[in-house]
Amino acid sequence: MDIMLLKITAVFYLLGTGSFILYMVLPREFFSRLSPLLLLGGFLVHSSALGVHFFHSGYPAVTQFREALSFYSWAMVAVYLLVQLKYRLTVLGSFIAPLAFLMSLAAFAFGAGSKDLPAGLKTYWLPIHVTLAFLGNAVFALAFAVSLVYLLQEYQLKKKKLKILREHFPSLETLDRLNYVFLVWGFPLMTLGIITGSMWAAIQWGNYWSWEPRQISSTITWLFYGVLLHGRITGDWGGKKAAVLTIFGFVVVLSYFLWGDSIFPSRHAGRFE
Amino acid sequence: MHKEILIVGLNHRTAPVEVREKVAFDASLLGGDLKRLLSLPSVKEGVILSTCNRVEVIAASSDLPATSQEVKDFLMEQEPAAGHGGLDDHLYTYSGDMAVRHIFRVAASLDSMVVGEPQILGQIKDYYLAAQEAGAVGTILHRLFHRAFSVAKRVRTETGIASRAVSVSSVAVELAKRIFDRLEDKTVMLIGAGKMGDLVARHLQRSGVSSLMVTNRTFERAVQLAAEFRGNPIRFEDYPRYLKLADLVVGCTGSPEMLLRPETVAEVIRERKQRAMFFIDIGDRRNFDPAINEINNVYLYNIDDLEAVAKENLRERTGEVQKAEEMVEEEVAGFLRWLASLEQVPTIVALRRKLEEIRRGELEKSLSTNLKGLSEKEREALEDMTSAMIGKILHAPITRLKKQPDDRDEALYIEALKRLFDLEEK
Repeated sequence: MDIMLLKITAVFYLLGTGSFILYMVLPREFFSRLSPLLLLGGFLVHSSALGVHFFHSGYPAVTQFREALSFYSWAMVAVYLLVQLKYRLTVLGSFIAPLAFLMSLAAFAFGAGSKDLPAGLKTYWLPIHVTLAFLGNAVFALAFAVSLVYLLQEYQLKKKKLKILREHFPSLETLDRLNYVFLVWGFPLMTLGIITGSMWAAIQWGNYWSWEPRQISSTITWLFYGVLLHGRITGDWGGKKAAVLTIFGFVVVLSYFLWGDSIFPSRHAGRFE
Repeated sequence: MHKEILIVGLNHRTAPVEVREKVAFDASLLGGDLKRLLSLPSVKEGVILSTCNRVEVIAASSDLPATSQEVKDFLMEQEPAAGHGGLDDHLYTYSGDMAVRHIFRVAASLDSMVVGEPQILGQIKDYYLAAQEAGAVGTILHRLFHRAFSVAKRVRTETGIASRAVSVSSVAVELAKRIFDRLEDKTVMLIGAGKMGDLVARHLQRSGVSSLMVTNRTFERAVQLAAEFRGNPIRFEDYPRYLKLADLVVGCTGSPEMLLRPETVAEVIRERKQRAMFFIDIGDRRNFDPAINEINNVYLYNIDDLEAVAKENLRERTGEVQKAEEMVEEEVAGFLRWLASLEQVPTIVALRRKLEEIRRGELEKSLSTNLKGLSEKEREALEDMTSAMIGKILHAPITRLKKQPDDRDEALYIEALKRLFDLEEK
């Protein structure tokens, strides 16, 4: 049942991706309305798939890698839809939709059927910790998308290649401000994700800190975004520098998320005991 | 019926501004003017359009030559000093599909002095509403203007004619809007008193920039310019100190040496915490070192860059205008089809046919099912009765339509019939 729903979700995300790409090529009002609606459709189906899983098993679908991928794409689309509601930046969807589609697709490719959940994960800490951590990362995905648009726009203005300059891109000032807004939202969410994680670890494993690869990598990421945010607030890290660092940070986070667990085996990667 | 559409008027191409000013209608007296227009014997519906670039009367009537003369005289009265026939050289007259095409093109800003400028649509809407309030709009002009509004909207959203800047100063503004979110809270520094710089500064002010600093080698000239722009004059030796306050810097001096070095600008942008700066170098000689463009968050465009963009935009816009003209043609054809369908006789025929179809259909259905056992005679009686019913139902509306005393309402009734009975032409 939930697999079927996930397939429908992927189809919606694919259609959304197509529509967003068309919007980039042909900036018509029609596509700027249609594209977010397709993502919204995908999001609703996706949410019900997650709901069905939770209803059947009693725990959220985040304990396997492919489930985590799927959950991440869900969180990303959720944050994008909220941002779209407030800022109407359809162009961001052109980056989020393909990312969401690829992730939801990858979710089918990895891992086998569901296993029995270890007792240690059957607790409310699981949804709380995982949701906060993923929401934080989803907001960073948005920061990544605005920064990409920023660099594209910046490059065209610098090189004076205005022929390809898209009229529907927001101004650099807007993009830069959004980069800041997303950092300001993403950082506390990530912080809470880490705090809840270590509290849970203290209860479950008996200590806050156990040199888990995921603990170390999260802390490094947290420091990175912290320094970036600090540089933005107090120093002169705005504009291009912030965009470049945001993109760099997200690429590292995403790469670790995709490959880190297989390089550094950890309890986060299915070895719970 | 008054299906003839006529436009008499003058615009920026046919009449100089002195003439346009004299013929222009006073917005506060428009109600009276519309009443006078409508009191002309042959004019059934009318709209007056009066902007600084055009004065036009759009009328619907049944007698083209008479209306043409009456409306011309009506416009001449605006400028009695010119004497009879004094305006003839400036006036144009369009009728039929030419008139429809003309009003569609005007609304879509294809006939504007600056093609694609957006104000004209709002102005037409205002004048249309004024005419409607004065009771001067009927079925024909109602449809005509609403089609014109929708063509204009289509052209605006589906082509790029409205969004292409084709002059150096408008390109500068367009670029500024790519860098800055809004110009209202930005500060411009104008260095030098060259003509192009003046133009760009004016354009920026029109686009919302409120704060302006002016500097010049001779301070008196700076003061004078600052007064014109309602900005602040700054002594030439002091301007580098103020640079960090400026989001946009327009350089237009005849100075043979570079005014600004990259090191200076790099320092300024640090002080500004990397808030972007846009340098526009528009003097006869280079005022700003091209290396300034290499600094992060600083954008430098010189006059050649701006001209290149303008040229590119112009080239693209020509293509967009072509697209827009095609849209106009489609819509003109659509409107003319509608106009042609507004005929009394075909409408009555279509109405009869429709009711007859219904009668036949229902009768056959009944006769083949629950009235199956009827005799031939009974069938005939039923046939006669239903035919008589249709005839009676149609009698009153058709008589009324044919006896329509006021020609103006005829189109209204026909249009109503077509819509109520779904008589769209196949």
